[in-house]
This record gives sequence, structure tokens and C-alpha cells, in this order.
Amino acid sequence: MYKLTVNGLHKKYGQHEVLKGVSLKAKAGDVISIIGSSGSGKSTFLRCINFLEQPCAGEISLNGELLQTVLDKKGSQRARDPKQLQKMRTELSMVFQHFNLWSHMTVLENIMEAPMHVLGLSRAEALQRARKYLAKVGLTEQQENKYPAHLSGGQQQRVAIARALAMEPEVMLFDEPTSALDPELVGEVLRVMQALAEEGRTMVVVTHEMGFARNVSNHVIFLHQGRIEEEGHPAQVLSQPKSERLQQFLSGSLK
Amino acid sequence: MSDIIQNYWQAWLWNDGYHVSGVAMTLWLLIASVACGFCLSIPLAVARVSSRRWISGPVWFYTYVFRGTPLYIQLLIFYSGVYSLHVVRSVDLLEHFFREGLNCTILAFALNTCAYTTEIFAGAIRAIPYGEIEAARALGMSPWVKYTRIIIPAMLRRALPYYSNEVILMLHATTVAFTATVPDILKVARDVNAATYASFEAFGIAAVLYACIAFALVGLFRLCENRWLAFLRPMGH
Repeated sequence: MYKLTVNGLHKKYGQHEVLKGVSLKAKAGDVISIIGSSGSGKSTFLRCINFLEQPCAGEISLNGELLQTVLDKKGSQRARDPKQLQKMRTELSMVFQHFNLWSHMTVLENIMEAPMHVLGLSRAEALQRARKYLAKVGLTEQQENKYPAHLSGGQQQRVAIARALAMEPEVMLFDEPTSALDPELVGEVLRVMQALAEEGRTMVVVTHEMGFARNVSNHVIFLHQGRIEEEGHPAQVLSQPKSERLQQFLSGSLK
Repeated sequence: MSDIIQNYWQAWLWNDGYHVSGVAMTLWLLIASVACGFCLSIPLAVARVSSRRWISGPVWFYTYVFRGTPLYIQLLIFYSGVYSLHVVRSVDLLEHFFREGLNCTILAFALNTCAYTTEIFAGAIRAIPYGEIEAARALGMSPWVKYTRIIIPAMLRRALPYYSNEVILMLHATTVAFTATVPDILKVARDVNAATYASFEAFGIAAVLYACIAFALVGLFRLCENRWLAFLRPMGH
């Protein structure tokens, strides 16, 4: 039984085909890293999974439930029932490259917002959840009433992770979570993600951090020009790459 | 000077013996029109930034018309123009409404400030980083929750400095209300001027009263900004 399956995803921007049939299967506890050079379609793929971008074709199902779609006039898929998509998104919460915290809300408000107004939790329950996950990402109560702009990048990204965790999602999607951070702040975010992986959370991570892909994930997908060029266990894929593209990519990114 | 204050202070502040007048009337004009304009402009601003032309187009046209013509002319149209139409006089409700100068004034003011406020709010919505709206969608918010919990609160905060300016401009714009026989501060000043020929004192007192209201408004908005715009302040470290 797979938690998340994505089947044959296609995405076009005008005439340019960004994704040419990409599939993914995640079992509970899987940590899947998606790597590839920029323009390979890895972020687009991740954003298509929760329909922040509409794919042109393909199927997405979560816990065996298929997202029902219809094609619109432009040839993109739309959710047939917006309610189903909204529910699916609550179970697929996402962490962004640029954090995307709501800047007018404090740390605590950011984390409590969706549990209260999407999941319908009471304020007290949401507060309890928020504190629990703040502690998990290593932020103290002194920081909970600060605004995002008053935190460092690493702290902001950890708040964003806590915000995603507070939805208690089935699968977490990470879109290059460390790419916008100063080098010395990358570690604190990766450590939080590693702890989540060790807890057995199911994660799909688009990343440039080869160390993370190698040591934390149990499956690596290498995307090239909108296709899966190579995939498998990180020890194999990253140490003995078969395809020339991946060899090139790794020689450029691994030190 | 002291004669003027002694004889007319009640008229300046709230009552000229027949009607509410002076400061009270000016404040009522301001509050009624700004409140109506504010409530109306929130949905209009949301419509204004819509990517669908048939939604944003009519709102664009409305704000264009009301920002493109002088308030004074808008007031004249609502006060004299509309009432001269046969349709309006033949419908009881409309007849009653448009016969009152105060109603026409508040309507014209509300529609005018609403047009400006709509553009201010629409600009504030466009200034919200797109990622924040995307995050709302990604966490499963329905469009209603996304607007009421994220976009509109963020919009109101970002718009605050510009909106405070609009309210003060509106205060000054209320001085055209006398055209529709509304006894505001300026009307009292004219009365005093006509009765005493002390033009400098009469209009000077009016100016001081407007300035006091404006300062009170500035103070009020400063308090609001301290409370709601803290998230934009640099930390000072």
C-alpha cells in the first residue's frame, strides 16, 4: 500500500514540455530525494503533486484515493471537486524554498492559522500543537511572538516546517528547503529534516544537498529534461551512476 | 474674536439652533462616508485584482470615473442632477432619499472615497508576496478562508499608511458639502463671516478646527500603525 502515488505526470508551459511523464511511489516512512540540474523540472514536479501547478496529464493518489480531475480549456487539469483538493492539500503540506511565512503574523499565529481555520481545531488545541512542533524544530517560546522578518532565515524555515507539521500531514513536500539559506544556516534545517525522517515521516524532498540525499533518503530520483533519467537507492544511484547525465551532474555537484 | 466664540461656539461645535452643525456635522459626514466607502471597497478591491476581465473591468471603470471627475461635480450631480430626473421623482423611496441634501452628500462622498480606497486596497493586495498566498493554498485553505484570514488582513495592514492619507484628504473634501445645504464647519464660518464681516477670524477658526481634527486622525492612525504594522519594522539589532 502506497501513501502517495504519482503516475505519468505531464506538464507543458505553452509549447515547452517541462515534464514528460514522471511517476513516483512513496510508502509510509519513505524519504524520496529528487535531484537534477535547474530546469530539469524537479520543482515543477513537486508543485504539480499538490496542484500549485496544474499538470496536463497524470494521476495523483493519496492513501489510495485518486484526485478526480477534469481538463480545462487550456488543456490543464483542474480538480473536479475543489473540496477534495483542499482536503488532499491538508494531508500533503509543503515547505517552500522562500519559506512563504505570512509576514503579518507572529510565529505562533503562522503555525496556528491553518489548524484552526482549515482543520477546525480550537484555539487551545492549536496552541498546544504549535508549541509542540515549535519545540520539535528547536525554537523556544521566546521566539513565538516574533514576526518572521525578525528571525534568521534558518529560523524562518524551521517555523515553516513547524507550520507544515502542525497539519499532521500524511506526506510532507519540501521544495529546495535550504537553497535560500546562508551556508551556515543550512545545517540547522537539515538536522530538523533528518530528525523528521528518523521519526518515520513520509517526505518528498527536492534538494541540491547531496549529503542529505545520500544519508537521509532511501530513494533518489534524478530528473533530466522532464524525465526520470535514473532512480533507486542512494547508495547505488549516487555512488555508481549508470547514466552519463547523472555522472556529469554528480561530478559537477559533489566535492 | 472673543465675541465670535462667545456667540457662535455652539454652532461651531455641534448645533446652530436648528440642526446639527459645525464639527459634529463635519465628523458625521466624514465617518459616514468613510465607513460606507471602507466596507464597500474591500470586496471591490478583491474584484479589482481579479484576473477575469469581466470582474475587474467594471470596478476599474467605476474607480476611473470617480477618480477622474471632481468631487464637487459628483456632488452637484447627485444633489441637483439626479433629483431632476423624472424616474427618481416618481419612485417614492428615491424621491425621499434624494430630496435630503445630507443623503446626497454622504452618497457622493462615500462613492468617491470608495473609489480611491478600492485602488489603495487593490494596490496593497498586489503588494502581498505571492508566495504567502501560495502557502495559503498549499495548506488547504478554501478561497474564502484564504481571503478572509490571509489576503484581506495583510492588505489592510499594508494599506494603512496610504489609507490614513485618504481619510485626511476626505476630511478636507467635506468642505464642499455646503453646496448641498449641509451645515458643516465651513457653513458656520460663512455664516459668521456674513454676520460679522470678520473674515480672518471666521475662516481662521474654521482652519484651526479642521487642523485639530486632522491631528487627532493622524494620532489615531499612528496608534493603529504601531499595533498593526509592527511586522514591517526593522528590529534594530
